[in-house]
Amino acid sequence: MTAILSARDLRREFVTKRPLFGAPTVVRAVDGVSLDIAAGETFAIVGESGCGKSTLARLLLRLIDPTGGEVWYDGEDLAHLPADRMRALRRDLQFIFQDPFSSLNPQMSVGALIEEPMRAHGIGTPAERRARVADLLSRVGLRPEHADRYPHEFSGGQRQRIGIARALASGPKVLIGDEPVSALDVSIQAQVVNLLEDLKDEFGLTLVIIAHDLAVIRHMATRVAVMYLGEVVELAPAADLYAAPKHPYTETLLAAIPVAAWGARPARTLVEGDPPNPIAPPPGCRFHPRCPYATDICRTERPVLTDAGEGRSVACHRAAELSLAGLDGAEPGRSPAAAARFALYARAMAGDPDKTNDPETGQTQPRQTGD
Amino acid sequence: MTGPLLEVRGLTVALKGVGQPIVDDVGFALAPGETLCLVGESGCGKSLTSLALMGLLQSPPLKVIAGTARFAGEDLLAMDTARLREIRGGRMAMIFQEPMTSLNPGLRIGEQIAESVRRHKGVGQAEARARALEMLRRVRIPAPEKRLDEFPHQLSGGMRQRAMIAMALANDPELLIADEPTTALDVTIQAQILKLMKSLQQDTGAAMVLITHDLGVVAEMADKVAVMYGGRIVEAGTAEQLFTDPQHPYTIGLMSSMPSLGDRRARLVTVPGTVPPPGAMPPGCRFATRCPFATAACDAAPALRDLGAGHGVACHFAPLVAGDLPQLRSTGT
Repeated sequence: MTAILSARDLRREFVTKRPLFGAPTVVRAVDGVSLDIAAGETFAIVGESGCGKSTLARLLLRLIDPTGGEVWYDGEDLAHLPADRMRALRRDLQFIFQDPFSSLNPQMSVGALIEEPMRAHGIGTPAERRARVADLLSRVGLRPEHADRYPHEFSGGQRQRIGIARALASGPKVLIGDEPVSALDVSIQAQVVNLLEDLKDEFGLTLVIIAHDLAVIRHMATRVAVMYLGEVVELAPAADLYAAPKHPYTETLLAAIPVAAWGARPARTLVEGDPPNPIAPPPGCRFHPRCPYATDICRTERPVLTDAGEGRSVACHRAAELSLAGLDGAEPGRSPAAAARFALYARAMAGDPDKTNDPETGQTQPRQTGD
Repeated sequence: MTGPLLEVRGLTVALKGVGQPIVDDVGFALAPGETLCLVGESGCGKSLTSLALMGLLQSPPLKVIAGTARFAGEDLLAMDTARLREIRGGRMAMIFQEPMTSLNPGLRIGEQIAESVRRHKGVGQAEARARALEMLRRVRIPAPEKRLDEFPHQLSGGMRQRAMIAMALANDPELLIADEPTTALDVTIQAQILKLMKSLQQDTGAAMVLITHDLGVVAEMADKVAVMYGGRIVEAGTAEQLFTDPQHPYTIGLMSSMPSLGDRRARLVTVPGTVPPPGAMPPGCRFATRCPFATAACDAAPALRDLGAGHGVACHFAPLVAGDLPQLRSTGT
């Protein structure tokens, strides 16, 4: 594996309260994360609210500075790079935000928004940049003439496409998306997921996706890192992780997913209550107070992320002896009637290239041919 | 089974200044103990339908222009405000996505629940407070005695959702309307809340209208399902019918759009385009602009037809059978 982006013992603390007297309250949002992201893969980071996944994503691109540790990209430690060098490297490393409503400047035209990264990096002449804006707009499923419009004129899905075009403008090698599709409706989400996968192939990108939707992750990711209270507790190829998790927290997450199929296994709650307060994480294994398998050692000794063979690693004292349930067989196959109808629909869609290639444009007359 | 507890017919809601109704001829029936899921994406009218039933539409600009909703014999849509207030929070209760929309931030949790109990059951302070405590216990809030005297902001998101459910169920409602009750929650908390709602429903025999965009939640909770698109019900039936024999192209497209948890299928098959804005829906079938099967016939609105066993589909071509389908419009024009 050739790593394109690596984190080494990455840490970030936030001071949440600084009283006049006494010690400040500190949250360790990311607490000693080490991982390697391979060139060309789709790497996913999952976990629930407050686990530190968004902080980790921002640290990987140094949108925020780490408290400790290193981030290696192309032989350079981003965490300790002078600002001007970091600015130059941003050409290679781009970010897609969750909220397409707040991440685009409403006063800039779509063309100016997409051109801005090119201007910032001194890419091309004005004429070349305009041509590239037009090209990028059609690559993301919009139309070149949309360059003159403003963000408020677009729907959520279209705005996310604009955000993606902007992220691609500087010709990045790594694209990190923080919940890039979770604000979108299911049908629009599917369009953007497909778009991201197409663009990844087309531009030879490495994708890092932060998400809480485990089905989207299963579909997109090559490998998955599961986070709990600031730590990576399990890291594995996506298929293996879903079929046979090795960390009890991963098992808990998978068991809780409601499966959208008739006759599927019901969602289960292996743990009750909320995750503990990240300001005062429990000693030992941070999952031990909620873990159904915890023993004495789990209460006192903090497990480290250890190689478990087959490209997997896990931070659990009992990983070797536990046999945990994944989603193998949790989703029954489609009934013959449903399968036939899905095939029919897929064929009809494939035979209707107008609509598959030009989504979301021309809201009331989407079927103008020759557009 | 006795007669329906709730029977909605021809519910139509207009938005001022918009030519087409934004909820159009919606109807369904619900028996005691049953759960009906209203499914669809943003703007399909699922939330407006529930708000109309509760008499909570913001009017103007929204207005119910036709329809009846018989709840235990009385028409909710024709009721005066005073009578509606008596029923809401009593025999009919609501749960929302964001608990802070129904919890008063300035009132202690216990006081809020007790207030509702006093109002609807006419009991005294002490008895109402005891009921509030009992409810917090039933929704499995840890240390309920302590929580009783806390304010909503002191609770986590999942706990607030539980507190809201406790308040909604405090008066033993016969009908519960829940609008995306778990959408804002993490998956493990969602599983806890869904389980809780199911078990409380079993205990009380309440009927539930559950509004959601998540087909996983539908599979988990629903007895019956109504799929909405553009303000209309496009397909309705039992959960089994919908999942094992989906008929409307929108239902099929929606299910195709969902990534699978099993082995990775290739590309996701999507629903093309976006929902037209209110008032700009096509004149016939409202899904026609996005439907891969649409033909000129779709310029006429299809009625919700019963394909047998109560499985209703609003599509001219249902039941969809290969070979039977008309030539696709895109190849025809």
